Amino acid sequence: MIKMNPILQARDLRYSYGEKRMALNGVSMDIAQGEKIAVLGSNGAGKSTFFLHLNGVLSPDSGEIRFRDTAITRKTVNELRRHVSIVFQNADDQIIASTVREEVSFGPVNLKLPRDEVAARVEEALDYMNLSAFRDRPPHYLSGGEKKRVSIADVIAMRPELILFDEPTASLDPLNAELLEQVLDRLSAGGKTILLSTHDVDFAYRWAERLVVFHDGRIIADGDPLRVFQDRAVIRQASLKRPMLLDIYEGLAAKGLSTGAAYPRSVQALLGGLPNIG
Amino acid sequence: MEEQKHRRGRGHRHSGAVLSIDYYAYASAIRRWNPYFKAAFSMACLVLCLAYDSLAVSAAVILAMAWVTVCLGGLPCRRYLPLLSIPFVFMLLGSAAIAFGVSLHPAGQYRLRLGFFYLYSSRESLLQGLHLMLKALGAVSAMYMLTLSTPASEIIQVLRAVHVPKVIVELMSLIYRYIFILMDTQGRMKKAASARLGYCDYRTALSTFGRTASNLLVVSLKKGDAYYQALASRCYSGELRFLTEQKPVRAAQVVLAAGFLVLLTILWRLTG
Amino acid sequence: MPQTQKKRFALFTVLCLAFAFVPSANAMHIMEGYLPPAICVVWGAVCLPFLVLGVRNINRKAGEQHQTLLMLALCGAFVFVISSLKIPSVTGSCSHMTGTGLSAILFGPAVTSVLGLIVLVFQAILLAHGGLTTLGANCFSMAIAGPLAAYGLYRALQAAKVDRKVSVFLAAFFGDLFTYCVTSVQLAVTYPAAEGGVAASLVKFMGVFAPTQLPLAVVEGILTVVIVIGLETYAARELKEIGYLGGNET
Repeated sequence: MIKMNPILQARDLRYSYGEKRMALNGVSMDIAQGEKIAVLGSNGAGKSTFFLHLNGVLSPDSGEIRFRDTAITRKTVNELRRHVSIVFQNADDQIIASTVREEVSFGPVNLKLPRDEVAARVEEALDYMNLSAFRDRPPHYLSGGEKKRVSIADVIAMRPELILFDEPTASLDPLNAELLEQVLDRLSAGGKTILLSTHDVDFAYRWAERLVVFHDGRIIADGDPLRVFQDRAVIRQASLKRPMLLDIYEGLAAKGLSTGAAYPRSVQALLGGLPNIG
Repeated sequence: MEEQKHRRGRGHRHSGAVLSIDYYAYASAIRRWNPYFKAAFSMACLVLCLAYDSLAVSAAVILAMAWVTVCLGGLPCRRYLPLLSIPFVFMLLGSAAIAFGVSLHPAGQYRLRLGFFYLYSSRESLLQGLHLMLKALGAVSAMYMLTLSTPASEIIQVLRAVHVPKVIVELMSLIYRYIFILMDTQGRMKKAASARLGYCDYRTALSTFGRTASNLLVVSLKKGDAYYQALASRCYSGELRFLTEQKPVRAAQVVLAAGFLVLLTILWRLTG
Repeated sequence: MPQTQKKRFALFTVLCLAFAFVPSANAMHIMEGYLPPAICVVWGAVCLPFLVLGVRNINRKAGEQHQTLLMLALCGAFVFVISSLKIPSVTGSCSHMTGTGLSAILFGPAVTSVLGLIVLVFQAILLAHGGLTTLGANCFSMAIAGPLAAYGLYRALQAAKVDRKVSVFLAAFFGDLFTYCVTSVQLAVTYPAAEGGVAASLVKFMGVFAPTQLPLAVVEGILTVVIVIGLETYAARELKEIGYLGGNET
């Protein structure tokens, strides 16, 4: 586990929405540069609330957020929003402007950048998400997958260090989900730190380098994906499922069919490790 | 109208209602024209059409605006004509009330006895009714020239430039976006309700309509938090600002527009 | 009058009357081009003080809370969407709610004046109901006079401990009727009859629009009751947040 030089630290966050139940009940976490972290947990476990804290939209009842050793207060909250961005689960909740170009410019304009810089960043983000042809189209006449791409271009134009994706694959068709994974890979390769929440355990197992499990406003597991998924107590408590790939691999291994020493992370790796018969 | 929407070839189809004027505005070939120019020209034609109050001017405005919208803007005639008929009911009723009078005694040039009272009219009042219809049609055409080529967001941009109070402009920008989100939600609710026979008879339909409506407001207000959080996460500070495209005005456009306004004035002088 | 001309005249009359029975609620928006420029300016000026009050009220409520503005925008979008929907109708013809009474009861007359103005602008540019030069006149009848009548009546009935549903129905019903009367007056003042002047003209305009507006007012009243009851059941908290019936209208 990389624990060197965390860029973002959450210390004992507690938060409630005015009800008795705590949405966050003592959450602490360090995020280092370049990490690929998946956050799992059932609905209402506190994932979205946690994300909104990391970006400063919500401020904790108690506890602290530190960004690069600066404690975040009301005054420094825009510093946090400048470097940490959220892609919301539902693109329609996020999109506000009337053309794609204006929409993507919203963040950079709020950062008070000069006009030329805004224009350059917008073009770059549109190009990155392959949206240049949609530049003058109104978002309300785009398809679901296209809107999702716009919502990602929104945050890319702000050039954050850390991007939070709230259930990015929910309601995407298989093709768009695959495109999204490619975007995530490109972002990682470009040095961005990524934290995403998901219900898709197979996707989390395939993609993440670190897995965090939320349950009832607390983190009940944090570590290597394989180890977390092998911990049956955690899986049961958080009502998760094990990735299918893991079950198949262990099933094959039990029948003496495995050769590879390491657990495979993809179907290709699994098949590559199997001996040829006949 | 319903059928026509479904037959539309370009673009993709949507659930629920479609605001066709909004759709045509984005598709217009003259969307690239400067919005301030379009707004000024459209308003000038509208006001002159009303102020000169002459048949010739009204006819000239109707024709010129149709030419700009259909020939330059590329909106097919078969889409433009139905749009012109939207205010038709008001026009007919309103003009009828002006052209005709009701009296207990025989009056006017032409009259029709209907039981105990008379419906009467005269050449002048019939002409006045016709006059008014043509003038209104001219004014509507001038407004259409703007709204069928300029998306509402650009019209809001013009309003901001002419110093409409900030809170109104901000509300308008937000409302414009939310209209589409709400219509989408409403469309889905309506489908779900009719799948459960919510519109089987008139009584049920009324109650379903009302309940869908209240549900729409409930759902929207509950979503308000999510919308605000999404804005705040991108450093929103109470003002919606975007990078607006600068669309230059061409000299030829200004000359032609000014020429047309002069022509209207000459027409008015000659016929008035 | 010659026989043929008489026949033609009769035909025209019957045609007009037939059209008068096609209910179409947008008939109450005065259309673009129907009022001379001077009259447009006058109505705009009449609206101004009410709108200034409304803007002040919103500024005070929204002030530092940006979220309040967003909530108001959602309400405005809601009124627009409601008024753009086809009401279920027996004859299959097309009519729409005005949302006037509903908005006044839910958000109060001050906020309604501003939201109503914005909704009217969008109705003009997105639906071609009403117009830009007639905005002042329409704003006065639909966003100011109607809502004020509905709100006043609603408060009075509530104070008199009249049943909730009945109050809402009557408020929305009379709000619509009042709007219709104000619009008729606006038209009559602009186009007085050759014989009988403004009064005769008023009778004509009211008569011509009555077949479309009276049934609509009834339907609007019923729908407003259903909507308000539904809201009270499911969204008490949200409504309190936007100051629903808070009595803090000043």
